[in-house]
Order: sequence, then structure tokens, then C-alpha cells
Amino acid sequence: MRGFGRSCRGHGQVFVKLVRQTAHQLLALGEPIQTFGLQAQERLAHTIPLSEAQHQRLSLALTTAMSHHEHIRKQSQRLTSGKKLSHCKVVNAYDPTIAPMIKGKSNCPAQFGRKPGIASDPASGFLFANLVPQGNPSDPSYVLPLIDKVQSAIERVHTAPQHRMHSVAGELGLNDPALRQALHERGILTVGIPKTIAPIAVHPSAQDILDILNEAGLHRIRTPHHVHLACASGYSRPVVESHIASLLSRGAGQVRYKGLEGAVVQQGMTVMAHNGAVLVRIRHKQLSKRAQKFRRLLGLKSPKVNEINHQRN
Amino acid sequence: MRFVRYLQHWLSGTGARLQVTDFVPVMHPIRQWADTFPWAALVRAIEQSFDTRFPTQSPRGRRPVPIRVLLALELLKHALGGSDEEICQRLRTDFAVMYACGLREYQVNPAQAHFVLPETLCEFRRRIDEALMDELIAIQAATAMEEGLVSPAQLVIDTLPSEQGSQRVTDATTLYKAQKKR
Repeated sequence: MRGFGRSCRGHGQVFVKLVRQTAHQLLALGEPIQTFGLQAQERLAHTIPLSEAQHQRLSLALTTAMSHHEHIRKQSQRLTSGKKLSHCKVVNAYDPTIAPMIKGKSNCPAQFGRKPGIASDPASGFLFANLVPQGNPSDPSYVLPLIDKVQSAIERVHTAPQHRMHSVAGELGLNDPALRQALHERGILTVGIPKTIAPIAVHPSAQDILDILNEAGLHRIRTPHHVHLACASGYSRPVVESHIASLLSRGAGQVRYKGLEGAVVQQGMTVMAHNGAVLVRIRHKQLSKRAQKFRRLLGLKSPKVNEINHQRN
Repeated sequence: MRFVRYLQHWLSGTGARLQVTDFVPVMHPIRQWADTFPWAALVRAIEQSFDTRFPTQSPRGRRPVPIRVLLALELLKHALGGSDEEICQRLRTDFAVMYACGLREYQVNPAQAHFVLPETLCEFRRRIDEALMDELIAIQAATAMEEGLVSPAQLVIDTLPSEQGSQRVTDATTLYKAQKKR
């Protein structure tokens, strides 16, 4: 059941079945519009008394109207069942850049909105990049654009040594051979992306490490130490959920700005605000034991807090 | 008489300026949060983008609100979970917010930097595009990497659901909230 409308104006609840029936009737009624549009375009082309400018203007208007009809038609066919909307929430189901998030949900309520992607550091939760795509694309399609964004951030660093991405982790949904191949070509290990539902081995044997490096073709590019780190960090759902929860607490769970551009700005600002809070935690050493261990293994500096320096001096 | 002299800057806008840093302790959460941002680089990136996309037509007119103030307000809004109106209101009264916005001195004067309207914030937001937003995040990440605080060696990639919707503040909403609280 999906609730629409405002309860202050009468009962204000409409069942999705009714919406679907109405949409079905309207779609049936508008079925011949495409044929009419094509006929109108043909007749417009053969109309002699019109000037060239008028021809162009009318043709443009007709094409725009046809494309709008196509968008609305497509979105009408995608109306899905979902959870009841809260009071006074206005959702524009006909925005062509949003889509129902059905994938991966069987018999569960599906949200209607956007699905931003994030690339984060598992140790601290710092977000290096985010991506707000149009609609609801497949999960593997997020990875390479996010990697490109992280790479552009790395290229801005002018101090030595230069940072590099060693491995990428993700859920089972990212298990795509083409994606693995693309990542290996960039010198990135994909141990953190599981191939089955079985958990990733945290402490791989020497033979396993050799197999992983040979399979990825990164034998001389990545070291066994990198593989150890990649296996140890792996993909942990609670870790990712903690990053997501931090974003949701800053308002990322609901897009309040208008359109795709608005969503990009809102998510971007939320990510920056979250990163500020993460950096405060790092500077004050308010990190988990696991995160502190990873920082040591990655050779990251221990932040010097003013008070400590003051005491030393 | 001494008391009046002390409050002179509040009453008449003259006299010594108040130092905002005196009122915001070093360990204040907003101050610590604000000190993590590379403000100069972020503002430079926004100015470059705006100069290219929105060239100034005429040098005449009132001076604009500094970009530093607007960017800090927008970020603070998400950090504190408030609305445009709330954060603009806090700028007038909260020294920690003034500190985050880069305002180091306070005096009653007609300077526009202390009086930002929510509409101005909305206009600023509308000018930010995807490329600029990515650049700002990249600058922040690059600064953190330069300081040796974070490393992109291990990355986790995932998605999160973000529902489309807008909460319209209407009389009905207010009535609903009041009934719920009762």
C-alpha cells in the first residue's frame, strides 16, 4: 500500500492499486499519441505556407512534447508498491532522473528516489568520493567513476610519497568479471569483493596470496603485504553501515533539494560535513582499535594534538 | 560609565571590536570541525568556477556576501542538521558559527557578512554544479592526504538509499506536529 495525498484534505490515502488502474487507463488512452506525433511531423514537413523559422519552432515544440510524453509514460509504468509515505511528503514520481530502488529487494518496501554511491576508507570512515547517478543503475557501474574521482583527488596531492589505491572492497553485488578485469588493469586488487556468500579469508596462506596475485596479474605490482591488508580489511557490512548511518544522521536519507543538481549538492555537502567530523576524530585519536591498527600498518602519521605538544614543551 | 563603555560596540557600533576567538574555546566542537577544512583552497575553487560561469557584468552595486561565509553556512547546515533559516539566524547570535564562517571580529556595523538571508544561501547553492562539488570534495580529501591523516590504499564502495521527497512547512504540518507532541 502506498499513501498519497494529505490527510488534512479528507481521508487522503490512495491505494497503489487504484493509482495503477488510473495510470493504466491513461496509458491506454494515450497509446495512439506516438502515431499522431509521427503523422503531425510528416504533415508539418509538407506544409508549404510556413516559413523556415516557423517550421523549426513548431518542429522543436512537437519533439519536446513527444519526449515529455515518453518520460511520463516510462515513469507511469514504473510505479511500484512501497511503504506508506509520511505526512505532507511530496514526491514527484515523474522526475525522469529518479527511480524505484527495487533491485536486491524481494517482497520488501521499495523506496522511490536516488541511490548515491560512496568510496570510503574502512579504517576511519573518511569519504574520498561520492556519486549521485540518474535513476537506479547497477552497482558495478558505480565503481569506475568513483575510482576516477579518488584518483583525481590523489593527483592533487603534491607531497611525497604519492598515494596509491591498493585494493577495493564491496558487497557481492559488485562481483562482475569485467569490473574485476578493469580494476586489475589499474593495479587494484579485488580480494575485498566476494565471489560467493562465503566470508573472505582474513589470514590467507602464502600459496593463497600467490594465487591472488597471479590471478590478478599484479605479481610485480602489489606485494604480499598489500594482499594481507586487503584481506584483513575485506568487506564488513557493519563498518559500511556505520559510514552510511553517519551520512543519514546528517540528512542524506532524504533528498530535499530539487532535481538531480540539488541531490548532487546536498549529498556533496553532507559528505564534506561528515569528513570534517571524521578528521576531528582522527586528530583526537578517537578511533577504534581496528582503525588504529590499520593506520599503523598503512604508515599513517599519528596526529599531534595541541595539548600533547603543550605538555611536552 | 565603564559599563556603558564596555557595551559601546553593541549600542552604537563604535569602540573596540570583539574578538570572536575569545568567546569560542579551542575545544568547542564547531571550532574543531571548522579547523579541519582547507577554506582558502575551497573558496579559491568556487571563485574560479563562478568567475568562469557567472562573469560579473558591472562593478557597481552592493558588495556580495563573502563566499567563505556562504560555504561555511551550507556545510554547517548539514553538520548540525538545521534549516536555512535556523543557520542564518544562528550566524547573528552564535560566536561559534561566526568563527566557522571565518568572521574573527564582531562589531555592530552595517557589514553584510553578519546578516545572511536564507534566500542568499539558496542562490549560492543553485550556482554549485556537479563538477565544482566533486572538486571541493577532492580538495578536502587531498588536504587530508597531504597531512597524512587518511590514505586511499584500501577503499570500500557501497550505495545508500536516499528517498526523494520534500517536507513542506505548511499550517497542516505545524498542526500535525503540535498534535503529535501533545
